[in-house]
Amino acid sequence: MTNKLDRRSFMTGAAVAGVVAAIGQRAAAATADDPLTITLVIPSPVADVGWGHALAAGLDTVKEAYGDAVSITIIENIYEGPDADRIMNKAVADGTKFLVAGSFGYQNGAMQIARRNPDVTVLHASGFMVAPNFSPFAAQYSQGTYLMGMAAAALSKTGKIGSVSAFAIPELITSINAFVLGAQAINPDIECSVVWLNSWFDPAKAQEATKALAAQDCDVIFSNAQDTPSVVAQCEELGIYSFNLNSSMKAYAPKTYLGCVETDWSPFFKASVDAHIAGTFEGGNAFLGVADDVVKVVDWSADIPAEVMAKIKEAEAGIADGSFSPFAGPIMKADGSEGVAAGATMTKDEIVGMDWHVKGVTTPLPS
Amino acid sequence: MGLALSKLPRLVRRERASMPMMLIAPFAALGLAVLTNLVLYGMLGKNPLIVLHAMLIEPFLSMYSFSEVLLKASPLLLIAQGLAIGFRAKVFNIGAEGQFVLGAIFASAIPVWYPNITGVWVWPLMLLLGALGGLCWASITAFWRVRLNANEILVSLMLSFVAIQVLNYLLLGPWKDPMGFNFPQSVMFPLDAMVPTLIPGTRVNVSLLLALALSVVAWFFVQRSFAGYKLEVGGLAPRAARYAGFSQSKAIWISLLIGGFAAGLAGAAEVAGPVGQLQRSISTGYGYAAIIVAYLGGLHPIGIVLSSFLMATLYIGGDNAMVTAGLPIAAVHVFQGSLLLAYLILATFVRNRLEWPTPHGEQGA
Repeated sequence: MTNKLDRRSFMTGAAVAGVVAAIGQRAAAATADDPLTITLVIPSPVADVGWGHALAAGLDTVKEAYGDAVSITIIENIYEGPDADRIMNKAVADGTKFLVAGSFGYQNGAMQIARRNPDVTVLHASGFMVAPNFSPFAAQYSQGTYLMGMAAAALSKTGKIGSVSAFAIPELITSINAFVLGAQAINPDIECSVVWLNSWFDPAKAQEATKALAAQDCDVIFSNAQDTPSVVAQCEELGIYSFNLNSSMKAYAPKTYLGCVETDWSPFFKASVDAHIAGTFEGGNAFLGVADDVVKVVDWSADIPAEVMAKIKEAEAGIADGSFSPFAGPIMKADGSEGVAAGATMTKDEIVGMDWHVKGVTTPLPS
Repeated sequence: MGLALSKLPRLVRRERASMPMMLIAPFAALGLAVLTNLVLYGMLGKNPLIVLHAMLIEPFLSMYSFSEVLLKASPLLLIAQGLAIGFRAKVFNIGAEGQFVLGAIFASAIPVWYPNITGVWVWPLMLLLGALGGLCWASITAFWRVRLNANEILVSLMLSFVAIQVLNYLLLGPWKDPMGFNFPQSVMFPLDAMVPTLIPGTRVNVSLLLALALSVVAWFFVQRSFAGYKLEVGGLAPRAARYAGFSQSKAIWISLLIGGFAAGLAGAAEVAGPVGQLQRSISTGYGYAAIIVAYLGGLHPIGIVLSSFLMATLYIGGDNAMVTAGLPIAAVHVFQGSLLLAYLILATFVRNRLEWPTPHGEQGA
């Protein structure tokens, strides 16, 4: 009997000791040389490609530069809502000083954290709120999709192109508009259909939407803000061209891949972390493009005719040095009214808030 | 085949389930689930003790964490109390998730249509509307069950998916915030359309008190009222209930309406509480988790109070473990699932015993 009791109390003691040791380890880890804790929260899986992957890759560069002086935590698959707020709060309570809130839907919760914790720097994807320690960031995808549009028009036999898109928010609307404007620079009569999935990540719906667009004779498809290679892989199967954003999916479509509008967040993340460590971080709207080395077009298809490629390179150089904007007037709206007057060019703020389609997009915006 | 089966032990219902065993079962289930999952965490390459600490101890280490446990417990408690009344009567409402969503939608109607509304009566009216919304949604299931004898498990479950599509339709169309950059979410609710906070600086709100008060009501209903007695008899001995003249269709209606009312109330409290607007991710499966809560609590009002706090602790602990220990969200769901599974197995053996076939292949007495 005593023997049994002894054994039980020994087991309990061992378990308690283990837990205490575990806590001790964590406490020690938190104080050793105080590495800067960086946390990335995203709604979809990191995966091998797509939005989450691009953000994670951007932080990899920070890790390479700082080594053990930073520690990076990635929390994936977090729905926008009260749980996301709690998880971000918890991360900050655990010592995170640099938070990357990787989705528009985290805006309210992330902003509250920034207000309550002036020593924490928050970068927030695709939003519009700004605070001294809170910067919204977005890529000027439109600069890349304009170039893709030029290539698409050169390769389309039907004169119809399409896009499988996530949410009808200005960022994505702008990307489609630039895609169509670029295409019209080569073929003024080209038309574009859009399917809105209302999801960043839904492989089954993305495939169905691609098939539906192909059935409407679209022969170049823009996979707009889809975190899955489903659109690209489906296009390869159907034998039509496709391109996507953020990171290359050429492996999924070796024959019909048109190219990738890549985002490289490393210069922006690195500069922001530098500023945070130096204590000079200032919140502001970071709307980054080709000139900032954040947006790059890579993996161009070899099928693009040389004379079109020359025009594309010319436009790309113009975008990079600021002498050319995809949103220079005259631009007509899809409803037939004037969007941008001849001689005028849309400002950054106007582009960020763009909520109308250009002429040539045949699918009406969901209202 | 028949021969092999006859050698297997059979489950035989015990005449009396042991009370101490019934009480021990949930704790033993927790222990079993913890042990199984510790092994899994080890296989994932995580330190099991750090995970365990994050999941079961950290929620109580700070006022903020504990307040989040209370916040998470309120909807679970509300829904589970409502469901348990039906489950005791053997009416299996599996669609609390949909009733929760309809509650959220009904409650949101006021701030969506009147975004500048003020008045102290706004949030109570929203909660009432929400409860009615859940009740209406559940009444569809009750109607088909009584009219066509359509299985309430299937109907209520399928209606949950319909409810989510109704929500999507509203958010993508008529109820979308006109200033919301086309994102599928409603306007932010005005202050008077929010349930008042209970503890300053936290997100715990009055719905916790409401849930506790309704738990007391549930206790009276189950233990002390004739209507509750009739429901229980209908569940335990349907034929005896019919002989006594207790109406079965009334039992179905009452069970489903109570379940829908409670779930709808929880949905209203969620949008008018921590969420503050109608959006697509208003529920992270409260309606389904509450089923686990109801059974873990032994379908008893007091047991459910305890099990809802346990479940909420596991949720908050799971979130902690994702942040602190880098646990993937799937592992958190596995923990919750294995907890229910362990409890159901244990409860089965508390209520039943194994009977081995006699050497002659005959069944014992």
